[in-house]
Amino acid sequence: MKTIVIGIGNPILRDDGVGIQIVRGFREVSEGLDLTLEEASTGGMNLLDLILGFDRAILVDAVSLVDGEVGEVVVIRDVEKMRSAHSTNPHDTSFPEAIQVARKMGEERIPDEIVLVGVNIRPAYEFGEGLSREVELAIPVALEELNRLV
Amino acid sequence: MKEITIDPITRLEGHGKINIFLNDEGNVENAYLQIPELRGFERFSQGRRAEDMPQITSRICGVCPVAHHFASTKALDAAFHVDPPSAAKKLRELMYMGYFIYDHILHFYFLGGPDFVVGPDAPPGKRNILGVIEKAGIEIGKEVIKHRAYGQKITAILGGKATHPVCGLPGGVSKGLNPDEVKDIANMVDSCVEFAKFSLQLLDDIVLKNKDYVELITKGPYQLSTYNMGLVDDKNRVNFYDGDIRVTDQKGSEYDRFQVRDYTDHVREHVEPWSYMKFPYLAGLGWKGLVDGPDSGIYRVGPLGRLNASDGMATPLAQKEYERMFGTLGGRPVNSTLAFHWARLIELLYATERAKELIVDEEITSDKIRNPVGEPGEGMGVVEAARGTLIHHYNVDENGLIAKANLIVATTNNAGAITMSVRDAARGLIKNGEVNDGILNMIEMAFRAYDPCFACATHSLPGSMPLIANIYDKNEMLVRSIRRD
Repeated sequence: MKTIVIGIGNPILRDDGVGIQIVRGFREVSEGLDLTLEEASTGGMNLLDLILGFDRAILVDAVSLVDGEVGEVVVIRDVEKMRSAHSTNPHDTSFPEAIQVARKMGEERIPDEIVLVGVNIRPAYEFGEGLSREVELAIPVALEELNRLV
Repeated sequence: MKEITIDPITRLEGHGKINIFLNDEGNVENAYLQIPELRGFERFSQGRRAEDMPQITSRICGVCPVAHHFASTKALDAAFHVDPPSAAKKLRELMYMGYFIYDHILHFYFLGGPDFVVGPDAPPGKRNILGVIEKAGIEIGKEVIKHRAYGQKITAILGGKATHPVCGLPGGVSKGLNPDEVKDIANMVDSCVEFAKFSLQLLDDIVLKNKDYVELITKGPYQLSTYNMGLVDDKNRVNFYDGDIRVTDQKGSEYDRFQVRDYTDHVREHVEPWSYMKFPYLAGLGWKGLVDGPDSGIYRVGPLGRLNASDGMATPLAQKEYERMFGTLGGRPVNSTLAFHWARLIELLYATERAKELIVDEEITSDKIRNPVGEPGEGMGVVEAARGTLIHHYNVDENGLIAKANLIVATTNNAGAITMSVRDAARGLIKNGEVNDGILNMIEMAFRAYDPCFACATHSLPGSMPLIANIYDKNEMLVRSIRRD
């Protein structure tokens, strides 16, 4: 089974970049496994482009939960069902919408399984590197989840 | 199992907000658009290696990585006192056309188009790309997806990576093109030219042949008479990658023309207490508040700003369309904000034609793609991002580290105009305090036309620009709040 693991986020926007940090960590511990690892600072259609052709896509990203502790790790399996009239940036379509568009077009390369490993963060507004302590502590938990998933 | 809900509103806490203040009669006294802004980039870049800036700045924004990459690379050319070889400039410009192709296609079909194709007062759930495909047909949908992907692929071949390019270096680029890549790009470009022509035809059929839409464009509450700004070549034709910054007035005549290195003499920034955004204005006219007209220094950038600020397009098909647009809408400048969509498609056609000129240029496969750099110093770079003029300005110290950085991004250049457009749309559309989802969308259309690039994270799940409209009565008491998730 062809699997891609993608760390998503902005590496210069503090906790926003946690997904990328996790996948960098995973690179070290997943040597020898038949996986494609990727980092991406993008969403919507561009993200869709990256996962086409794989049987399974695991996205690792920062999320904002309605009620949840900062640093909480969640696994979401029905990514496609999450709907919104809005996208993660005002110039692109949302990722679930991108998948729906592709399905409508008869795209056959959409992975059978798309899973999101999310780390709950407080939204970051100021550029900077480094993670908050709570989010840093979530990395080993997220790595464990990743290990279980692959 | 615990239920997980991700509220799009909390994805970015400072969601877009329109505060609308009504008067005694229930009409709009004033309206303010507030949007989240990412902060602290200038401070973040201090002390970093100058040559890393094209990569770092491409992370500022998930929307315009290629524009930041090249504004930054050009600022480094200037800071290191080096002029890239002609082939390198052509490679950069070709890649830049790829970016315009995918960016403008995305905006027209996914973001701006649904308002027209599906209808401005259609339910929000239908006003999206899926609604467009439903109405226009799957075959057209496939063409949209294909050509957006072509734009991305052209960018990726030249830039090394699709979304965050790594090719720009002070003095040139790191990678040239081989004959196979040229062939590949040439095929895609040919197809893109046809698709751009088709898109303009679609605009004709769906928008310009619909009397109500034409009325909305020419007479609706979307008029704004500001100055216009854009990069032009030596014949005053639109150029996305290089040239002088030209400003034209309300009569379409040249008001100002300058090189980016002198921008601080020509453009200033005003700060308003209610917004994180800065409001640039023309220094010669000064800040007169959020008003249009010849005495106010506010200007517009982006597709309509560029076409208004130019005397034409540098490619034949786009030039014809330029003439047709200004002929149809009553001459230059066109002040209707909704005409941004038309201007955007003319630019799409230009980008495809220009890409074709570049890919058949013999020099495009040259291996002379970099010149040696000189001593570091101060440098400014400018490009036209898809959404308007973008300036990077660095001071580089003797060790090659950034001592100071200043950026004026496209949406900031449009800040005054966007704010006024939203206010005027609210004033024109809200009567007797009545607001519904259709009216709210028509207010949103006023800023969507600019294709603004607000603070954006880059995530897989929805969504960052939900909108809240707060309506206040004459006593500034909140009477209604409409939330669009």
